[in-house]
Amino acid sequence: MESLLITQAINAVYEILILAVLVLGLAVVMGLLNVLNIAHGEFVMLGAYCAYLVQKAGFPYLAAVPAAAIACGAIGLVVERFLIRPLRYDPFETLLATWGLGLLLRKLVEFGFGRGFRSVDIPVSGSISVFGEAYPIYRIVLMVISAAVLVLLFVWYARAPTGARIRAMVGNPVLAEAVGIKTRQLARNTFAAGTAWAGVAGVMIAPLTPVEPFMGLTLIVNSFFAVVVGGMGTVTGLFAGAGIIGGLQSVLSAAVSPNTAYLAMLLLSILFLWQRPRGLFPRS
Amino acid sequence: MASFLVRNGLILAGLVLVPVFVGEFWAYQLGLYFLYALAAMGVGLIWGQAGILPLGQGMFVALAAYLAAYGLLGLGPSPLAYLIIPAACLAVALLGFVFAVTIFRGRLEQGPSFSLITLALTLAAFQIATTWSSVTGGFNGLRNIPGLPGLDGFLDLYYLIAVVLALAIATVDYLVRAPIGALWRAVADNERRLAFFGYDVAALKAVAFGVACGLAGLAGALYAPQQNLVTPDIAGFAFSGDLVIFAAAGGRAAVLGPVVGAIVVGVLSAELRGRFPWWEIAIALFFIVVVLRLPGGLMTLFAPLKRLRLARSPVPRPSQAPDKPRIATPLTVAFEEVCVRMGDVTILDGLSMQTGDEAVLCVIGPNGAGKTSALNVMTGALPKRGGRIVIDGVDVLRPQPAAVARSGVGRKFQTPSVFQKLTIDENLAIALWAGRWRGIDLLLPSLFGWTTPLLDEMRRRFEFMRSGAKPASDLSHGERQILELSMALLTEPRLLLLDEPCAGLSHEETAAVIDAIRWARHYLINLRIIIIEHDMELVRRLADRVVVLHQGRFLADGSVEEVQGNPDVRAVYVGGTR
Repeated sequence: MESLLITQAINAVYEILILAVLVLGLAVVMGLLNVLNIAHGEFVMLGAYCAYLVQKAGFPYLAAVPAAAIACGAIGLVVERFLIRPLRYDPFETLLATWGLGLLLRKLVEFGFGRGFRSVDIPVSGSISVFGEAYPIYRIVLMVISAAVLVLLFVWYARAPTGARIRAMVGNPVLAEAVGIKTRQLARNTFAAGTAWAGVAGVMIAPLTPVEPFMGLTLIVNSFFAVVVGGMGTVTGLFAGAGIIGGLQSVLSAAVSPNTAYLAMLLLSILFLWQRPRGLFPRS
Repeated sequence: MASFLVRNGLILAGLVLVPVFVGEFWAYQLGLYFLYALAAMGVGLIWGQAGILPLGQGMFVALAAYLAAYGLLGLGPSPLAYLIIPAACLAVALLGFVFAVTIFRGRLEQGPSFSLITLALTLAAFQIATTWSSVTGGFNGLRNIPGLPGLDGFLDLYYLIAVVLALAIATVDYLVRAPIGALWRAVADNERRLAFFGYDVAALKAVAFGVACGLAGLAGALYAPQQNLVTPDIAGFAFSGDLVIFAAAGGRAAVLGPVVGAIVVGVLSAELRGRFPWWEIAIALFFIVVVLRLPGGLMTLFAPLKRLRLARSPVPRPSQAPDKPRIATPLTVAFEEVCVRMGDVTILDGLSMQTGDEAVLCVIGPNGAGKTSALNVMTGALPKRGGRIVIDGVDVLRPQPAAVARSGVGRKFQTPSVFQKLTIDENLAIALWAGRWRGIDLLLPSLFGWTTPLLDEMRRRFEFMRSGAKPASDLSHGERQILELSMALLTEPRLLLLDEPCAGLSHEETAAVIDAIRWARHYLINLRIIIIEHDMELVRRLADRVVVLHQGRFLADGSVEEVQGNPDVRAVYVGGTR
């Protein structure tokens, strides 16, 4: 019983960290730029297909990371230039446009690869004993990488000059521009960084999930509502959102059923969108 | 009226004649897309008119379809089965209204939140429809649903659906041209302004959403007998998305846009999806182009048809608007130790002041003194953190814009706030209707003909208001200031709040505005005015009493001369120690 609890606890931590990684790119784009990128899941899907292609071509799995980052980042740049910027980063208009973009990316991938599931082999197989329970090594590796990336990124955002510039742009775009920050390029790069990171997240989860054109839809739901619950544009919000949605999903799935977990997550999101649309820890 | 009947008669005749041209089989197929058109028309109404994007209309279609399926299975060949269609439609419309009013109540400008709530709901509905097998039949759905009694063959049901669609088109056509349609477009344009005229914005939005759900319900109720099968698919995210795409592709602002979108995109997709794998890529690209460049959608292609003048609204006959109930006493306001804070910043720091016997009270003070904030907290635009605000003898705990407006407070904002996308006449009409409409008035096109002596006077004074068909966005800054002032006056308030009414006006315009304000204070017997102003020349010409604020507190009051001679006031304005 006790060991089962430990496994459950590790699973919950795993779900939360993976969700945080999936949410990260969306949180950047949604929280800092106010773009409701509903096609975020499709960028994760593209990253997963990059992993599939890299593995199929016989390259080492790690090569998929730069490949996905470059591919998704490049698409992000194009999307920013021809979709987001012409709509002046308006939340409502970009929600619609990225809805269409998601549809387009799904259909393009379906056109190229077909609708069937592709499986990606786990790059690090085997399992190790955690408190006497066997646990897959790849999941442990993912947890460590995720935690490290999240911590590094937040230190960077808080300390590095680019982080300060982004905060300045978010706080007051006109003033930021007046003091010499190139807000247009900064916004463009921030958007592309968000989509590139979505691609990397896709590489990370590809071995653990069926890779198919519609996988982004299921991912976007959790991610979107994690951002909504946590609050946009803050580090605490990202952790709170991922923690609550990921934790709730993990615990309720194990204790009751995945169906209940999913419905509870939707209900919680509706309550937040209604009563506290800015989430738990919004940017002031 | 004549053009309305001709227009909708032609649509009905066209729909009924379709089978003659395309044959029975295609007519039957088209029937399904007509049902999609009904639901998409609801999306067009709530999104294209009221500016609220619904991402989960499929849920309401599905709900009505399941209800109708049970009704048809239960009633079988009894003629009572026909009652199921209006019943399911009404039930879903009512549910949509109650849901929307709950979400909208007490909140303005929710932005994309509402859209995301509808998205979450439809995801939940799909999940429930799929897993609750004992009721919904699970993934396979409810099957072998009988058709409507007495309707044999493909064509009978087609005619029913065609007539229902034509009636629905006529209803929506009527609604968007009625006063309530103008109010929906005003919601999309500037919710806040509408609330400050005293309109119940939540109710207006909820009515639009209820009508949209009713259309979805009609579609769902007819879907069950048309397909003889109801599966969770129509509750799904993808179908709700399709409805949005139909409305956008056809043109969400036009009545017929979503219908054209559903039929053209729907039929072409069904035909071409199999043959050309890239077809759906093309649809996605077209949707993106519509969002970026072509908000009118496919209806843009039909723009030349406007020359036929079938879409013309009749010019309403002028009639005298009903009088507002008169209250003999002027409206008083008292601030008692009012505090307002935003984060760490103290905006009002125990402000106390009240209106007195004077007709015009001018509030002055340096930037950041809290002048505009005082009006904001009083009208519910800023939350109060302490103290009391007594309006007309009542201690208002949490002022709400619409409630304050209904008690007789009119407001003109510092930056002109009018309905940019509406015409000058519509702007004036919306202000005029406020507090005067009763019962079903908002459904009567004759309201556009309402006028009052005050409106005639404003049109006489300001020439630009006579070309009423121009959109307000074409007006200059000064004209917009004057339009908003006129709108505020049209509500015949007992207390008028003017925030720098002459900012950015030319010399002549300023003179004309001062003259109009002086005229209004004599014409409207009980009118009291609070003006925030920096321009001392203007203060001198209008003020009966002056109140000076400084750093969120009351500093001094009195006549213009008294205030100018006050050493405290001098210290604040000229600098120096105090």
